[in-house]
Amino acid sequence: MRQKRLLVAWCAILSVGTISAATAQDTAKAALAPPAVVSPADKTAIQVFEKQVKDYVALRNKVRENAPKLSKDSTPEQIQAYRTALELSVRNARPNAKRGDVFRPEAADYIRRTLKNEFQGQDRKELRETVLETETQGVVLRVNYPYAQSAELSEMPATLLAKLPQLPKEVRYRFVGRNMLLVDRESNVIIDFMPDALP
Amino acid sequence: MRRLYIHKFLIALLISSALSCPAFAQQRATNNAHGAAPKLTLPLKDGSLRFAVMGDTGSGSAKQREVGDMMVQYHQAFPFEFVLMMGDNLYGGEAPQDFEKKFAEPYKALLDQKIKFYATLGNHDLALQTHYENFNMNGKEYYRFKKGNVAFYSLNSNYMDKKQVQWLEDELSRDTSEWKVCFFHHPPYSSAKKHGSDSQLRDVVEPIFVKYGVDVVLTGHDHVYERIKPQKGIYYFVSGAGGQLRTGDVKETSPLIEKSYDRDMHFMLFEVAGDQMYFQAISRTGETIDSGVIARRKK
Repeated sequence: MRQKRLLVAWCAILSVGTISAATAQDTAKAALAPPAVVSPADKTAIQVFEKQVKDYVALRNKVRENAPKLSKDSTPEQIQAYRTALELSVRNARPNAKRGDVFRPEAADYIRRTLKNEFQGQDRKELRETVLETETQGVVLRVNYPYAQSAELSEMPATLLAKLPQLPKEVRYRFVGRNMLLVDRESNVIIDFMPDALP
Repeated sequence: MRRLYIHKFLIALLISSALSCPAFAQQRATNNAHGAAPKLTLPLKDGSLRFAVMGDTGSGSAKQREVGDMMVQYHQAFPFEFVLMMGDNLYGGEAPQDFEKKFAEPYKALLDQKIKFYATLGNHDLALQTHYENFNMNGKEYYRFKKGNVAFYSLNSNYMDKKQVQWLEDELSRDTSEWKVCFFHHPPYSSAKKHGSDSQLRDVVEPIFVKYGVDVVLTGHDHVYERIKPQKGIYYFVSGAGGQLRTGDVKETSPLIEKSYDRDMHFMLFEVAGDQMYFQAISRTGETIDSGVIARRKK
């Protein structure tokens, strides 16, 4: 009888442990889940946005040929030469680039709604603080010009990144205050930006 | 004769005032520490893996250099093979002179001895640092390497996208190393007031760490030292005062704290010998601010 009770107790303990571990994994998976419902109009907006980004990357990778090759064991001088050359090449290849070229109205609207859903609620206060505590005073928002090297970079919340349209490796999202930027990862050039993106 | 006594008295008064001046006392402590033998608490076992840890270093300040000098002193007593950097490797710019002043010069003596530095990116670091020869990131924002029986995972906590999370999960799932150490910039647990625990990051990475048996997590970002009470069997450290410091930033009533220190800059030393991982945190002036041993979990 005693042994039976012990066996029942062990089964209960193991079950709780398994459920806890599964719950933790489920929590992480839920946190990284994409948005549940995307309307046909939003799907189109996302597709247009992704195409604009893809076009930028194709152009950028083409003009990257003009920059000196950068090895994985580079000196600071080589890094600077590469960054400067890439920045200039990208700027020259997009002489008429302006705000809204990539964040077109429909995509901007979808992203703003996604941000609103992600940042609203008292439990999201910390998320807002994580983004808004970044010291970005002095960052000039100008398409086709680099983000100030001396300025801090905002941490992009993992849960938010999972819900936004996915980007190729050459491009990154970044916040400056409540503004959302699209930035070239290597040259740090601002490709486009959305003012007042955060609620 | 009387005049001579007055002169002697005045000289003595001047000397004692100078000696009691806090700045002078601090300098003397530094000098004494630099002159005195390092006070090592690590066992120096044969065949052990030895490494150092430092975070938020890239200020280029005189105090950063003093931490570097103290690391050199301790290296003579405890020859560590490599150094892990917790991010914010360079503050305020990434021109060649920034790399020189904020990294290559302060750690020249270690670099000259071919000690490798393995960096991670902080929120003051641009992506192209991954190509810098002395950061050994191999062009990657997140990477893994192994030394002895320890696997090290450097992550980019600035941009924890799905791709990186998937990579981490895939790599950890097939990793049979006895020890698994992750290091990145933003602390999942921290008792500092300025930033504190990054709970949204923790929600994503902690379940993976727990599932795949990560033993130790090293972070920076908060410019203090903290050893967190083990969380779900994992030991977390905040080592973010290698070149920056926020005095008084630790919330001393935090239930997370096992040990904390925010009065001076510091670095850490680790020694892994079989199933034991020894650590020692050392201040800029050579004072031991924390030490202990972590037993490897049976997995």
